[in-house]
Amino acid sequence: MEGHQRNLYLYDRFNARVLGVSRDDTITLKYFAKSLDLTFPLLSNVTGFLGFYFHCQPDGKPIFSRRTVVIDKTGTIRYVRDGSPDFKDILLFLKKLNQEGGKS
Amino acid sequence: MKRKALTILSFITIAVWLSGCATTGPAKPVPYRLTQQGTVIWEDEFEFLPPPPNWKLLRVEEEGGDINFGFIRDDPGGFPSMTSFAYDEEPFGCSAQFEGREREFFKRFLFNAIVQFQELERKKVQVVGAEGLALTVEGKDPVKKEKVRARVVFGKRGDRIVGFYITQWRPIDGTYDLSAFDVFDKFVASFKFLKKSFYETL
Repeated sequence: MEGHQRNLYLYDRFNARVLGVSRDDTITLKYFAKSLDLTFPLLSNVTGFLGFYFHCQPDGKPIFSRRTVVIDKTGTIRYVRDGSPDFKDILLFLKKLNQEGGKS
Repeated sequence: MKRKALTILSFITIAVWLSGCATTGPAKPVPYRLTQQGTVIWEDEFEFLPPPPNWKLLRVEEEGGDINFGFIRDDPGGFPSMTSFAYDEEPFGCSAQFEGREREFFKRFLFNAIVQFQELERKKVQVVGAEGLALTVEGKDPVKKEKVRARVVFGKRGDRIVGFYITQWRPIDGTYDLSAFDVFDKFVASFKFLKKSFYETL
């Protein structure tokens, strides 16, 4: 999350916006954001339906597995990677997507 | 005839086995080279004056490919007496301003040690060709009876903040060896960027 915060100026440059999704409740997320000085939105999805939608809800676990998804402005999923975010890879992808015609 | 064929087959088998043992694959190249001036060029990206040979190279593989390396040495006096220093491409925190980054950084610096830092010195310095901020702090852990003295130097690389830091651990009644901080200062003062960072090329 800190890496995304550091890269906000670059996401702006590539016409991209970032948000996080978690199964934590809003109060927990508020403190999490405050502790890391995050300024981008964190969404609380306690019921976990977004995890099922994006296939990152492990069976029987109360948390999402880590997954980075890039959605273009037409709503098409263009990039999916599991695990910790590879920020350089994400930035290169967003740059390419922006060059394609500002679809990110 | 059959015995002769078996003997030849045995020799061939042994020869193949031995050649297999001799094939260890290409050695992994080291990420640095020494110059005639005594400096180190690291991955063609940084140049700096290395510490004396009693410091061992310390490299942290970061996810995402950010560069993070340093040096460590064991100090006399038993545990926890040791000193390490590092260059960090992405120090804790997010702010691109020194004061903001300092506040964010010290929320998590040596977080596992649970020490309260006391600021000993704060000064503006020249680092990597521009103005930076250097802080010297000391933290004590009265439960474990340990203490640490650290110096953190923030500099700029393009729009982003980079960090250099040294930590020296001692028993709570131990004495710091400030000559290690001189080695660190020389390392920082000599540090140069040889090319633009990934982020500057975007």
